[in-house]
Amino acid sequence: MSGTRLFVRRRDGRIEVRINDYGREVIQGAFANVLAAERDPNHEWHVALSGPIDPSLDHDNPLSILSRENETSTNAELAELTVAEQFLNEAEAWAWLTTLQVALRSTAQSKGLLSDDQLAAAEPALLDYVRTLQQFLFQLAECF
Amino acid sequence: MTTTEGDVLVEDDVRTQKPWNVVVWNDPVTPMTVVVVIFKRIFGYSNNKCTQLMLAVHHEGRALVWSGGRERAESYCVKLQVAGLQCTIEQDN
Repeated sequence: MSGTRLFVRRRDGRIEVRINDYGREVIQGAFANVLAAERDPNHEWHVALSGPIDPSLDHDNPLSILSRENETSTNAELAELTVAEQFLNEAEAWAWLTTLQVALRSTAQSKGLLSDDQLAAAEPALLDYVRTLQQFLFQLAECF
Repeated sequence: MTTTEGDVLVEDDVRTQKPWNVVVWNDPVTPMTVVVVIFKRIFGYSNNKCTQLMLAVHHEGRALVWSGGRERAESYCVKLQVAGLQCTIEQDN
């Protein structure tokens, strides 16, 4: 993937997605997992999606939690709906960025990758998946 | 509405409410450029300020990115969490 621009900001403001079928499959899987985790409390990513807002309180503000759940689901739904598109508008690109970032951090948290040492010691397949998501994120962030 | 002096409660110990801080925590996987983009989008800070905050998160493990009233702090915290960053709020000491 190195040397190829995967996301290109065009003059009309849209972002062109230049990812092959394999890359789209990886991204689609990440989007689907975020949506599933948001809806299923038993999903291994669910804990990562529901961290405390105020750790000093036994119960966080229910309205804040509701707001977070709604916004996360909305972003992931929009990202999943547009996963096959060649051009993304600003809102769609933001939904891709946030959903990919949620997927990346949820993967790290659920697999215990909480430090640089743990990341370096991760099994090759997992490390490859993390590096792939990072590469997508890095290049998409360049368009903002 | 008139009252005698003895009925008036005088409060001479006035304290302002301590602000609430929005704190972003470091993690080993999030690309630095993503953190900068998220800060710019959510707070509207300059590129320099976002980069400084991102570097503070990276080097110190956490950074205070906004301070003020509790409701806005919670709202910003939710937005940062929705964007995939690890974030909490805490009241200033």
